[in-house]
Amino acid sequence: MAQFLEQLINGLVLGGIYALIAVGYTMVYGIIQLINFAHGEIFMLGAYFSFVLVAVLHVPFWVALPICMLLCAGIGMAMDVIAYRPLRKAPRLSALITAIGMSLALQNLARIIWGARQRTFPEDAIPALFLSENAIPLPGGADLPYRDFFIILFAAVLMILLNRLIYLTKIGKAMRACAQNPVAANLMGIQTNRVIAVAFAIGSALGAVAGVMVGLREVIEPTMGYYKGVAAFAAAVLGGIGNITGAMIGGILIGLAEVLGAGYISSGYRLAIAYIIMIAVILIRPSGLFGKTTGTRA
Amino acid sequence: MKKWFLVLLLMGIALGFGGIQPSEAVKDLKVAVAGPFTGSAAAFGEMIERGAKLKADEINEAGGINGMTLTLIFEDDAGKDGEASLVAERIATNREILAVVGHFNSSCSLAGKPIYKRAGIVALSPGSTNVNVCKGSDWTFRNLYRDDFQGQFIAKYIKSVLPELQNVAVLFDNDDYGRGLADAFIMEAKAVGLKLVASEAYDRDNTDFKAQLTSIKAKNPDGIFISGLYGQAALIAKQAREADITAQFFGADGVDSPDFLKIAGPAAEGTYLTTPFLFGADNEAAQVVADNFKAAYDVAPDTWAALSYDAVGMIAEAIEATYSEKAFLKQNRKAIRDYLASLDTPEEGYKGITGLTYFDEHGDTLNKPAYVKVVKDGQFTAAPQQLLNLDAPE
Repeated sequence: MAQFLEQLINGLVLGGIYALIAVGYTMVYGIIQLINFAHGEIFMLGAYFSFVLVAVLHVPFWVALPICMLLCAGIGMAMDVIAYRPLRKAPRLSALITAIGMSLALQNLARIIWGARQRTFPEDAIPALFLSENAIPLPGGADLPYRDFFIILFAAVLMILLNRLIYLTKIGKAMRACAQNPVAANLMGIQTNRVIAVAFAIGSALGAVAGVMVGLREVIEPTMGYYKGVAAFAAAVLGGIGNITGAMIGGILIGLAEVLGAGYISSGYRLAIAYIIMIAVILIRPSGLFGKTTGTRA
Repeated sequence: MKKWFLVLLLMGIALGFGGIQPSEAVKDLKVAVAGPFTGSAAAFGEMIERGAKLKADEINEAGGINGMTLTLIFEDDAGKDGEASLVAERIATNREILAVVGHFNSSCSLAGKPIYKRAGIVALSPGSTNVNVCKGSDWTFRNLYRDDFQGQFIAKYIKSVLPELQNVAVLFDNDDYGRGLADAFIMEAKAVGLKLVASEAYDRDNTDFKAQLTSIKAKNPDGIFISGLYGQAALIAKQAREADITAQFFGADGVDSPDFLKIAGPAAEGTYLTTPFLFGADNEAAQVVADNFKAAYDVAPDTWAALSYDAVGMIAEAIEATYSEKAFLKQNRKAIRDYLASLDTPEEGYKGITGLTYFDEHGDTLNKPAYVKVVKDGQFTAAPQQLLNLDAPE
């Protein structure tokens, strides 16, 4: 029982991280139908920024986190302006290839700046609460480290905030309008480019949070964006790409499937199991769990 | 516009003339060094590059090979087999390269093997330990032991030196190196009477091992053998300690990097690992190289730097003995192979800082022992008990 509970927590933590990244894929796709392959690299940059701020410049962790979010939001917006905006009217394939190029460029830039070797946060730079020995005891002998608890909590809170932003605020309404029909939205006086920039900024800031969390929990390296990025993309597809709630649920599902699959079926196939579930869902519901089935958006 | 074009043209001509002169002065002999200079084994790659470069510099300072300069060309395979095929293809078709030192990762050596065989160029690996790396090709060699030996060795070591460990678990990297080593370990562990309670795999890109560790924890092993590379091994050690797993850790040569200590921190403490070479006080030649290495790069060399140093030395010796300016590239490449293949007895073997290297009919080196290191106070130290007289499996 304790083992299952711990596996469940492992899955939820991983799922929370995937959900935070997946939202970035889905928000951008929902508005401009672009699969932003460089989003995994934003996540990676978030981890590196936090490392530099906390371990090198000795900024307190709780100050560094919002700075990382702002920095990544800025880079996300800059990426849109530099790489994608000039291609807004070009065939979709051009933008897609540009995204792959952007991903490679950022990955190699990180390699040039920080080197190819793996880095971890020094123990003394991490807030005491997040050190591994501080954990909430659960029934049955299982432990929930505060760090993992915080990841799940933070992911949940951010998701709820984002959901409220989309449905209750003016910019959220503008986003939904752009997702429905960018031309009509523009005709109604919505500045589509500004809405797109906001989508990039929010997605990138959430990706940065995921990056900081993974940096704390695991390791920081230039290629870290690829593995988690692909899994998060699968999560976005599973939830119905373009749908934010779908991305959150998809993230949690992929994380749980990966961990429970590794724990109870075969650890050699952990991502394969998650992907098989995704493919099975896509076969039955081609537009994902929460995707709209109307074919007007093409 | 036209004027600029003219200026550029003149500059080009000037550069062109400038470029011709040095190449006429000294002919250089090119040898490729292929390894993981980026990616998850980058710390190894750095040591390989430095060890190889140190040897080449020493050779050139001493007058080169028959008066010609030895030039190393570094090719990055990122530790990935797909990348290694591309690199191998590029090296094989480069009409100036005489031989290859590399690759490091077993998967990369296996990916390069058919390409080097087809092109007829020697690949001498200073790091690949998978059993099949040299079999089936006359062109692949290595100057260290195989995983079947290493895996069996670790199981025997546990049995004879740490008899209180009864139940062992294995966590292996799901690639040629990790799988082959884990299989050898498991087979021998069962043979000597250890109980295998769990065997879990992970992918090369994994950094979250909580799922596997939670499964292993439920089986309560006394020892965990991590069959993989240093970065992930360090994370496994760290995450295992976080999950309150108290088992003794074991690793193999893939864990033998200072980065293991850096990433794992206190979790590395007490880990036992095997390595093909130890810098020791009784090995004077190695000590000199270690001092020169330290003077050049400010860090102490590791096992891989030493093996790469020797690999370059061996290739240089082969070139010195066989190279002919009049011969075609294919003949020169073949002559190097024939020379290496002829080093098949202890008397003819190459005496490097890592000991004597000579090859069996596959190109494997079977005479080198495995050494054991243990992490003590955050440093690798030679384990108090070694088992140097074990025979290599046939």
